[in-house]
Amino acid sequence: MRASTSLSPAIPGPVVTAPRQRRPTPAGGTRGLKRSHFREARLPFLLLLPQLLVLLLFFFIPALRALSQSFVLTDPFGNSVQFVWFDNFRRLLASPEYRASIGVTFWFTLAQNALTIVVSLVLAFATDRILRGRGFYRSIILLPYAIAPVIAGILWAFLFNTAVGPISFILHGVGIDWDPNRHGIDAFLLVTFAASWKHICYDYIFLIAALLSVPASLLEAAAVDGAGPLLRFARISLPMIGPTIFFLVVMNFVYGFFETFAIVDAVTHGGPGGATMILVYKVYIDGFVHIDLGSSAAQSVLMMIFALVLTVLQFRYVERNVNYDV
Amino acid sequence: MNLTKRALFTGALAASIAAGDAVPALAQQRVEIQFWHAMSGVLGERVGEIVKRFNDSQTKYTVVATNKGNYDEVINATIAAYRAKKAPQIVQIYERGFMAMLLSGAIVPVQDLMTEKKKQVDFSDFIKPVASYYQYKGKLMSMPFNSSTPILFYNKEQFEKAGFSGPADTWAEFEKQLYAIKSKGAAECGSSLAGDYFWSLMENYSTVNDQPWGTKSNGYDGLDTEFVYNKTRLVQQVARLQKWVNDGIIQIAGQGLSPQQLFTSGKCATYFASTAAHGGIEREPSIKWSATYLPHEADLTARNSSIGGATLWVMKGHKSEEYDGVAAFLEFLAKPDLQVWWHEETGYVPISNTAYQMAKSAGYYKDHPTREIAILQLNRGTPTPNSQGFHFGNYTQATFALREEMESVFANKKTPQQGLDDAVRRGNELLRQFEKLNAGKY
Repeated sequence: MRASTSLSPAIPGPVVTAPRQRRPTPAGGTRGLKRSHFREARLPFLLLLPQLLVLLLFFFIPALRALSQSFVLTDPFGNSVQFVWFDNFRRLLASPEYRASIGVTFWFTLAQNALTIVVSLVLAFATDRILRGRGFYRSIILLPYAIAPVIAGILWAFLFNTAVGPISFILHGVGIDWDPNRHGIDAFLLVTFAASWKHICYDYIFLIAALLSVPASLLEAAAVDGAGPLLRFARISLPMIGPTIFFLVVMNFVYGFFETFAIVDAVTHGGPGGATMILVYKVYIDGFVHIDLGSSAAQSVLMMIFALVLTVLQFRYVERNVNYDV
Repeated sequence: MNLTKRALFTGALAASIAAGDAVPALAQQRVEIQFWHAMSGVLGERVGEIVKRFNDSQTKYTVVATNKGNYDEVINATIAAYRAKKAPQIVQIYERGFMAMLLSGAIVPVQDLMTEKKKQVDFSDFIKPVASYYQYKGKLMSMPFNSSTPILFYNKEQFEKAGFSGPADTWAEFEKQLYAIKSKGAAECGSSLAGDYFWSLMENYSTVNDQPWGTKSNGYDGLDTEFVYNKTRLVQQVARLQKWVNDGIIQIAGQGLSPQQLFTSGKCATYFASTAAHGGIEREPSIKWSATYLPHEADLTARNSSIGGATLWVMKGHKSEEYDGVAAFLEFLAKPDLQVWWHEETGYVPISNTAYQMAKSAGYYKDHPTREIAILQLNRGTPTPNSQGFHFGNYTQATFALREEMESVFANKKTPQQGLDDAVRRGNELLRQFEKLNAGKY
């Protein structure tokens, strides 16, 4: 009786409710320990303080500034400011260019995410099978991560340049009318490839680590039962690294949404005709090149909302299919 | 850290503090003037030389020139500094930022400053399209610094190979030449599309052929101006450019490659570019090139082209003795001998006709005939309301919209008319926004 009411009988005190359990905890489990050790509210707050301060300075204050800025029409120098309510938002949502930018961003993040995950999974699976020179392969695959986004962008832009790029020379040779300066779809593909290429390394590190943590005994047992490497990967490794993949999907999405700015700037400048004008690049162009602060602020507010909604949706619907209990 | 090291360290620190003290002590009697500019590389060095000459020429003021990046970055840095009440005295701002600066309430008009400080600058002697671009109600608002205008560079050998002595004067004839050059194999492509084609092939097409870009004399007569370039001969010009792109007559360089390289490497036979490109093209010995005027429409009289470049704006909120220094520096800049030097070193046009005559009488154009084209082209005829310049608010943004629409035209996603209509619609929204914000100020 006693043992079942309190999991840690050695420590008396107000353990109010036991945390909801997903599975039976082994006797002498650690769950009750966390609460009883930090009974005071002050300590956790103090420990959180540095991080909260950073967030306040670099997130909450700028976000509030953006919010207040998004309701005004102002000249760059700030000498005349007019409160315009939702005019900036109305103007944005009515503009075909902005709606096109939302579409571009949607397809871009989706394509970039899928490409990055699939390629890095293949690479991780492949290097997991390699016996000799594994470290060498790994370092090679990790190299792009060490390259600054702008440099990566210029490399890609040059390789695929219509007039002088070696790869476009080959493409033209096999009869493909490759021209990212004119064809929106070509420019879109180019930016997607460049952005994915840059991010594959990140996913790859996590996937390699996750694959290493898959218990060898399970794989060996399956091998004894006659399952080939692909089957073992699909049936055992893949489900077991589910949480990592989910984490990477969220991270890739954040990357595609916010951090691909430099690549777009170097590869296409958002062109041709807005074909690669992703939202974050538009925020930059309108805010820092055109100095239309009201519109730029309204765009960042909308972007923040999109990002929040999408992340919540991901956690609600995608995470359901992720099994953490392995 | 052991004792000896610490002693050394403290000693070094003390020495550096002492040295740091010594510098301001020397400069104390001199008034410091901050000058932010966007000139990098060789041009940046030339700016440095000008500033050094000025500082050496007198003992009262020290101008400190700082490169703050490209034009966009300079205007952004200026805005940030102004908002933090730390603006420099002088900033270099591109021509498209004219209206933003004029109505910012953050500047001191240059001509007023020069009059107040009793400086002798003969503004009426300035080359007309240079002065008219930066004038408001007949007064110069900012000091022209680097002004250029587009001209037509061409590869002499490739034209001769195709049987032409040089580019034709009119667009129709010039077009035939480009097609002939390509079909006869004299060059791979007829022309390389410069990054600022909207300026050289569209805005300047309109000024040379006296076509309006906007109502109200291109915005000179009121903020309620509207773009009208979708109803002029420009539509034909854009159709021509679209056809050239489709037929491979004109090559778009794209990211990672400079359009100028396509010309200097001999791949494309012509290149429409700023006269300031002279410096770069002269350094490439691989091709035999020359330059000439922009073409015009056969049935229209060719007029002056329009300028591009930047001017120096004087910011508000500084001390009177600092403005004395600013005025002295601007007066120094306008001196004809300095202008001649600047013109010869950089390829930009001199700001005054006196400077031009000085270079001419010194025989400069005998050795450098193409350097004179820009000035002759700017001085062709009297500027009309369509060719005096462009006074549009939010103009960088409107230009960006135009470029986006042009990209859709080049991709054959829109017809020339559709593309220009959409650019005008987007541009007019920006004009109305600017009008609303600055109501009653112009």
